[in-house]
Amino acid sequence: MLEAALKFPPIGELVKWPAFGLPGFNKVALICVLATVFTAGLFFWAGMSKTLVPNTVQNIVESVVEFITDGVILQTMGQEGMKYLWYLTSLFFFIFFCNIFEIIPFMQFPASARMAIPLLLAVITWVMYIVVGLKKHGISYVSKSVKPPGVPFALLFLIIPIELLSTFIVRPFSLAVRLFANMLAGHLLLVTFAVLTGALLGSSIVFLKPVAILPLAMDIAITGFEAFVAILQAFIFTILTAVYLGSSIHIEH
Amino acid sequence: MLDLFAQAASSSTAVAPTEILKGLGAVGAGIGYGAAAIGPGIGIGIVVGNAITAMARQPESAGVARTTMFLGIAFTEALALIGFVVFILLKYT
Amino acid sequence: MSYTSALLAAGSRAAAALYAQAATTTTEAPAQQAPNPILPSSTELLWGTVSFAVLAFLMWKFAFPLVIKAMQARTDKIRSNLDEAENVRQEAQGILEEYQRQLADARTESNRIIEEARQAADQLRQDMVRRADEEVAELRRRSIEDLKAAQDRVMGQLRLQVRDLAIELAEKVVGANLDRERNLALVDQMIAELEARPAGGG
Repeated sequence: MLEAALKFPPIGELVKWPAFGLPGFNKVALICVLATVFTAGLFFWAGMSKTLVPNTVQNIVESVVEFITDGVILQTMGQEGMKYLWYLTSLFFFIFFCNIFEIIPFMQFPASARMAIPLLLAVITWVMYIVVGLKKHGISYVSKSVKPPGVPFALLFLIIPIELLSTFIVRPFSLAVRLFANMLAGHLLLVTFAVLTGALLGSSIVFLKPVAILPLAMDIAITGFEAFVAILQAFIFTILTAVYLGSSIHIEH
Repeated sequence: MLDLFAQAASSSTAVAPTEILKGLGAVGAGIGYGAAAIGPGIGIGIVVGNAITAMARQPESAGVARTTMFLGIAFTEALALIGFVVFILLKYT
Repeated sequence: MSYTSALLAAGSRAAAALYAQAATTTTEAPAQQAPNPILPSSTELLWGTVSFAVLAFLMWKFAFPLVIKAMQARTDKIRSNLDEAENVRQEAQGILEEYQRQLADARTESNRIIEEARQAADQLRQDMVRRADEEVAELRRRSIEDLKAAQDRVMGQLRLQVRDLAIELAEKVVGANLDRERNLALVDQMIAELEARPAGGG
């Protein structure tokens, strides 16, 4: 009986949303647009405020900006990286809002759990750090970044392909996959326990109905954890972007 | 009892070989993800443990240690996440 | 045995049929949508690109400079306030030091005045004591002189009277045959001898 009730939907079904209204405009697109609106709205609200004493929104926005300045840029790029502050801040807020919809009722889906969004952001970062490196060091950027100084000649045949692979191919891929897989895994966890709760509640065996409290409690706990993960993954994406940009600026490693 | 197995075997002939392959793929994906989680689990444990040691030794540089710890976790965790992605790939191809 | 096996066989057959049906429906469904969750969907990619591009443009051009400007303004304001407060504090410190210096000056001044007054009083006291001593000494000296003069005068008169008395007495005793001139000389000599004798004669 329980087997009949516990029918876990395939993952492909879980993340597939129908389009409504505009062509291809599904839930993920809606979340992206909302993330854009919220981020821009926060910044406009904070920036337009004429009072010198900051209000709550200003405080939140400015503490994040200061955190990205002190905790991310100055530690990875130094003073030179201050011109990328706007990009890193936008990135942080956009990813955070895309993530946090995972636990917002009636949305309950992180846009970053679709490969399109992390891939897009990772590709932007990838292009950015390569362009920054080429601009700063010219064409020697490529040779410098694949050939660490002080390596014996014989090892170069081993090192150069590895560095080439890790710098120009694995970096954007791992950046995208990290965010995507984290958010998808979190979503699957939430769905798993929700499905389990529903199956236990709908079970025809009466004794199993109270047991539903266990997966429900787990679901609530994971919801809290996912809020933390949403912030953490946004932070990790931001700081890795900063690290990669920093490694393009200060090439010697 | 033997009768039951025989019946089950005769009924299982109704299942197409692709279904068996799919089931095997699911088994492989599950085992593969389990195996992929071992190394990162140990690795994250080491990273966090050493970060806590560093923070306890030098509480004044706890901020740097925490940032570096999250970076280390992110790099270590990537392996587990690649395992997770491979798991999904195995389930869906 | 045969009954149960037949039942089981029917049950398993029914289950197999159900499973096969379910399998066909589930294999049909992915066939039409082919949802591999890893591959990025092109429409989502498009929408994501558009939203992030719009966000990046808005942030880069308008919103972010506003926030940074506000933060900078606040930073400047706070800094200038702090500077001002520091200036005021230094000023107050200067005034305080000035007051303390003046207070210390006044204290040394008053000390000096008191000391001077004390010295003056001391001087005055010593002067008065000395003058009183001098007056006393003068007084004593003068009284001594007076006494001496009185004594001399008394002594002179006494001498004259004693001489006259002695001569008169002697004249009465020995009669009138005696030479007055000679007797006077004799008595004077005797008085001189008396005077030359130490104390008791006066």
